[in-house]
Amino acid sequence: MTVLVVSNIDLTTNMQVMKPATFLDSTIKEATLNISNEYRYMKTGYYVSMHAEILGNQVIPSCENIIDSSRTPILLLRAAKAGVPTLPFLVTDSVKKITTELGYPVILFAVNPFIYDGYKIANNKSALYRGMKSLGMNYKFAVCAQPLKGELFTIKSFFGKTANQDTQTQEIAKRVFETFKIPVCNLHIQKTVDKAYLCGLQPVSKEELSEIDLQQISKEVMLISEQGEHFGV
Amino acid sequence: MSKIACFVEKYNFTDPREEGALQNFKSAAEKQGNEFSFLFRENISDVPKYDSVFIRATTDPLNTAYVVSKTAWELGLKVIDDPESITICGNKIHQYALFEKFNVPHIPTVFLNKDELHHKRISEIFDELGKPVVIKAPYTSFSRYVEKAACETSFRDVAKRFFKKSDVLAIQQFTPTAFDWRVGVLNNDILYVCKYMIPKGKWKHGAKLRGKPTVIWGRTVSLHKQELPARIREVALKACSVVGKGLYGVDIKEVNGDYVVVEVNDNPSIYAGYEDSSDKDIYQRIISYLSE
Repeated sequence: MTVLVVSNIDLTTNMQVMKPATFLDSTIKEATLNISNEYRYMKTGYYVSMHAEILGNQVIPSCENIIDSSRTPILLLRAAKAGVPTLPFLVTDSVKKITTELGYPVILFAVNPFIYDGYKIANNKSALYRGMKSLGMNYKFAVCAQPLKGELFTIKSFFGKTANQDTQTQEIAKRVFETFKIPVCNLHIQKTVDKAYLCGLQPVSKEELSEIDLQQISKEVMLISEQGEHFGV
Repeated sequence: MSKIACFVEKYNFTDPREEGALQNFKSAAEKQGNEFSFLFRENISDVPKYDSVFIRATTDPLNTAYVVSKTAWELGLKVIDDPESITICGNKIHQYALFEKFNVPHIPTVFLNKDELHHKRISEIFDELGKPVVIKAPYTSFSRYVEKAACETSFRDVAKRFFKKSDVLAIQQFTPTAFDWRVGVLNNDILYVCKYMIPKGKWKHGAKLRGKPTVIWGRTVSLHKQELPARIREVALKACSVVGKGLYGVDIKEVNGDYVVVEVNDNPSIYAGYEDSSDKDIYQRIISYLSE
């Protein structure tokens, strides 16, 4: 099969890559691989996948997966269903509920239309109030809270592959990619003494992408466009 | 017997007409032998305890309501509004692209990408659609984020504002009418029919008075669904068929003797004494759909 590669990242390869704006004005009916550093809802990375779906093209990633993977509670729910280790979470705007049901420390992710990046860690009640005030935009929105049981770190995942050496972390990245097919993203993971858990998925900024990262992404893109892998064929 | 959760936010209870409708849903559910509970955002974790979820809080793929909808869906619960309907109705670009693809008659629409905001493209759009045009942000609801532009300066002005949140906008032909048909549809069937009157001297159902922040709304004239012209019925059902099988409010305009869809809304407004005044069975029908 032929795979059309649409990318807003400058890939280090000599294969044909189309700019998002060109694709949005086209009616090309081919399996579409949408590479973007940020698949934010209503940003170009999202509209590329939407346009491909409307054209009836198979596309990586799908609109549904773009939306779901960026809503932390849905990310965790679907990832858990797929066998990825996660911790129980709460979606709430109640400090009391988080305190009694999860305790401290907790990790907070925003669940609102405006904040798409970052998280807060709260070690006590006053930090929790501050975190909920900022991520809940003055308590206007709920947040997603998870217990923090180990060390939280962030890794870049390219097609489910990561430079991190830990096998549990590698397994999480691989499973998350199989489930949501987000080619380029940051994964927030926490590691206790003996186990790693998925906590969140967020976009990678262009500045975070090193020369080696670009080569890595390009290599994967090349493989997929040659073999049609991940398109379910 | 079915346990129904109605997901609401505090603002759903600020207007007594909406609160009245919510109470009507509760009575209808209980009369049919179901449990009906209001679910607020602090108790979202309770979703698995129910058989179905009815969302009345404003929906958008980026709102808590989507999280509730998708969670219920993943757990196999019956849900209005379902996540796919929220995705398609919450983004008018997505919706018009589907109308285009499946030949649903709709207001002439072109899409504008962020990098096309230049003189040549704007002139082309004015040539194609005439002046003024209506600029619509994909996340519009309650007549907000829909503005008119009659010249390039105001076009750029509005577009720049809307581009802050979305990289694509919809530009539509300006089509003033005295009212919009509002057709309530549930599971491919007509539920209720209204005329949403446009306030005098304005061009949309919810309009601002000059220089004032308050929004004035046109009257709602309720009709029996039997009175709905066959052609409107056909257009309304066709438009919903490309979105899904849930609960929708379809806005339709009469233009030159034919009917065109303005948009399909998920999560349509239901106010006691308004949408329900001719067809009073709308509460029972929605509850039956949720509990069957």
